[in-house]
Amino acid sequence: MTDFDRHAGVGRPVARQVFRFTVAVGLAASLMSGTVFAQSVDLSQWSPEYVKSIAGSTTYDTAKDCGAVVPNDYAGRVSYWYTGPFEADPEISHRQDAAFWEAFKVAYPNIQTDVQSITYNELLDKFRTALLGNAAPMVVRLQILGGVEFAAKGYLNPLKPEDVGYSSADFWPGALKSVTYEGVGYGIPTNNETMALIWNAKIFADAGLDPESPPATWDDLVIYSKTIHDKLGIAGYGLVAKQNAGNTPFRFMPQLWAYGGGALDEAAPTPGYKEVWINNEGSKAALQAAVDMYVRDKSVPVSALTNTQAENQGPFIAGELAMVIAHPSEYARMNDLASKATGADKEKADAVVANMRYGLMPTGPDGKRAVVFGGSNIHMVKSDFVEGGQVDEQAVKALICMWTSPEWSVKLNWASSNPGHLGGFRTEWMKERLEQTRFLDITTSMLPNGIPFPVIPEAPEIMNIIIPDMLQNALTETMTVDQAVEDAAMKVQAIIDGSGGI
Amino acid sequence: MSSITEYRSGGMGWRWAGRIFLVFLLGFTIMPMAWMLITSLKTGFAAMQYPPQWWPTEPTLDNYWRLLDPSGSVGQDFLRYFWNSMWVSVVTTVLAVAVAVPAAYAFSRFRFPGRTFLFFAVLLRNMFPAVVFLVPLFILMRVLGLVNTHGSLILTYLTFGLPLAIWLLKGFYDNIPIQLEQAARIDGATRFQAFFLIVMPLSTPGIIATSIYSFIGAWNEYIYAYTFLTRHDQMTLPVGIQRFFSENATDWPGLMAATFLMSIPVVVLFLVLQRYFVRALTEGAVKH
Repeated sequence: MTDFDRHAGVGRPVARQVFRFTVAVGLAASLMSGTVFAQSVDLSQWSPEYVKSIAGSTTYDTAKDCGAVVPNDYAGRVSYWYTGPFEADPEISHRQDAAFWEAFKVAYPNIQTDVQSITYNELLDKFRTALLGNAAPMVVRLQILGGVEFAAKGYLNPLKPEDVGYSSADFWPGALKSVTYEGVGYGIPTNNETMALIWNAKIFADAGLDPESPPATWDDLVIYSKTIHDKLGIAGYGLVAKQNAGNTPFRFMPQLWAYGGGALDEAAPTPGYKEVWINNEGSKAALQAAVDMYVRDKSVPVSALTNTQAENQGPFIAGELAMVIAHPSEYARMNDLASKATGADKEKADAVVANMRYGLMPTGPDGKRAVVFGGSNIHMVKSDFVEGGQVDEQAVKALICMWTSPEWSVKLNWASSNPGHLGGFRTEWMKERLEQTRFLDITTSMLPNGIPFPVIPEAPEIMNIIIPDMLQNALTETMTVDQAVEDAAMKVQAIIDGSGGI
Repeated sequence: MSSITEYRSGGMGWRWAGRIFLVFLLGFTIMPMAWMLITSLKTGFAAMQYPPQWWPTEPTLDNYWRLLDPSGSVGQDFLRYFWNSMWVSVVTTVLAVAVAVPAAYAFSRFRFPGRTFLFFAVLLRNMFPAVVFLVPLFILMRVLGLVNTHGSLILTYLTFGLPLAIWLLKGFYDNIPIQLEQAARIDGATRFQAFFLIVMPLSTPGIIATSIYSFIGAWNEYIYAYTFLTRHDQMTLPVGIQRFFSENATDWPGLMAATFLMSIPVVVLFLVLQRYFVRALTEGAVKH
C-alpha cells in the first residue's frame, strides 16, 4: 500500500477524478505518441495504478549495460555542466547526486571528470558566454527547451538515445520532440515532469469548500479563489505574472491551453509552430480569467505582477494562500522544512504538510486538461567550442549512458521530477519513491497531458517575455484583454517572421 | 527678547525635525541589515512565515555553523569563496594603489604633452556600462588563458578601479602645497625622496580612501566574476552565494547568514580606518 493509499480517506474525490482522467489519458497518450510507442512501458495504459503496478518489476545493472556501450576500462576525460542540488534542495537530492559520482567512478575508474554544478538561473548565461569563448564543457544538461537555441546556432553535436545504447522508444515522445531541431536529435531527455495543483485543505474547509476536491475547471478555480478571498480575506490562487521569468508561462500556459489557446499552435496534435494562436478566443478567455481574478475579484496576491512561485511559498506555508501550481518537489521541500523546524514551529510545519493536497490541473470549458511538459535534456557540445578543442566522445557517451539510465534517471530526480528513461518507472527505486513521496502518482499521471513549449529557438523569448508582458498589460489595465492579445500576437508573428525580437 | 525666544523655539523645532529625519534615515539604513541578521537566525520554515516572525520563536545559529564548519560541504565551499574574495580584493587594492599613487602624482605635478587628454582618457573605461566589455574581455581572458583564474578578475577590476583611484589621488596631491616638496629639494632630497617622505605621508588619508574604494569594488563585484569563473574552487563570494537559490526554492536563512558574514570585512575595514576616510572626504573641502 502506498502512502497515497493510506491517505485515501482524504483523497477519494481526487481518486475519482484520477479514474475519470485515466480514460482521457489513454486517448491523449495515443495522440501524443503518434506512431512511436515506448517499449519500456505501455503509454496507452498510463494511469496512477499502472505506474504503481510496473514499479519494481525490472532490475538493471547500469554499469554493465553502459559497459556494453563504452568499455568500463576506457580511459579518457569528460567535462560536464549541470544544475545539481544546492542549499535549498532536499537532503535526498544531495545524497543521490553524490552517489551518482561515486557510482560513475566505480563503473569508469579511468575516466577523469571535470564537473561544475551551476545554479538554474545562471547556467544558460554562463553556457552562452562559454560558447562564445570556446570554453564550454563537453556535456551540458539544460532545461527542456534550452538546447534548441544552441542546436539552431550549431553549437551541439547530433545525439540520440541510440548513440548511448537506448531506444528512442524508451523516452516520452514529447520529450524527444523537445530535443529535435529540423528533424535531427540534439540531446537525450534526463527527466520529465509536469506540475499539479496544490491546495490547503484547511483553508478550503474554512471557506466552506470541499477540502478534498480541487476545482475541476479553470472557471471553478476563479470561483474558488473569489470565495476564499471573500470569506477569509486571504488570497485564493497564487497567480504568477512576473516579467521575464520562466515561472509565469509554466503556470499560465496550462490555463491558456485548457481554454483552447496557445502562443503558437503548440497545443495542436501536430504543431507546425507557424500559426499564431495567442489572439484566438481560447487565449482571450484564459487572459480574461486572470484579469477577473486580479482586477475584478482581487482574489490573488497583489504582488502577483512581481511574483514567482518562490514568493508564493511563504504565504502558502503560512496559510495565507490557498492554491498554487507547483512541482512534485513542493511536497518534498515542505517535508524537508518541517523536519528541520524546531519547537512551536515544528507543530505548525507538520500541520502545513498534513493540510497539503495535490490534484490534477483544472480543465478548460471543453474538458481539456493541459500542463507544461517540463524537464531537462543532456547535450554534447561540438569540439570547436569546448575547452581544449576536443570532445572525448567515448567518455561523453559513458557519462550520458549512466546519467540517462533507468537507474540514475530515477535516483537523480528523486525529489523533483520523473525519470526521462521510461524504464525508470519499472525500477525498484521508482517503487520506493512512490511509497515515500506522497502525491507522486498524481503529478506523474499528468505526464500524458504535458505539452512542450514550441520547439523553436525563439520559444524562450515568446514564453518568458511576450506572454508575461501580455499578462502585465492586461492585469495593470494598460490594455484591454483584446488589445493585450493582439499586441502579443503582433510580437509573436514578428518573431516567427524573423522581423522582430529583442 | 521675545524675538530671540521665538527664534530659539523655531530653531528647536527645526532641530527636532532634523533629528526625526535622521532617525528615519537611520532606520531606513539599518532595517535591511537588521532583517538580514534576524532572518539568518531562523530555520527555513520560520523564514517563510507570513506575517513574518519579527523575532524568531526558535532562534538558531545553525546557519552560521553550517557556513563556518570546514568539515561540511557548505562550510568548505563558503570558506573557500571567502578566501578567494579576500585574495582577489586585497591584490586588486594593492596593485591599484601601487599604480595609482605615482600616476596621480605625475598628473598632479608634471606638465607634459597630452596630459589633459590622458587624464580624461583614463576615465573612458568607466564611461561605459560594465556589461559592454563582458564578452570582449571574456574572449581576451580566454586567449590569455586566464578564464577560471583570479588573474582575470584582478586585471579586470584594475581596469575600472585604477581610473577612479588616479582621479581621487590626484585631488589629494593637488591640495598638498608644492612648496613643501621644494623645501625638501632645497634641503638635498631627491624628487623621489621628497615624494616618498613628504607627499606620501600627507596623502595617507587619500591613499586609505582609495584603498577602501578599490577593496569594496572588488569585494562586491558580481558580473565579471559570474562570467569569468565557472569552477567552484575559484568562485568569489558574490557568485558563490548564488548557491542558496535553487530552481524552485531559496534557502533564505542560509543566504542571509552568508550575506551577513560577507559584510563583516567591509564593516571592520570602515571601523578601523574611518577617521582616515572622513579626513579624506573633507580634505578637498578647503583650498590651500
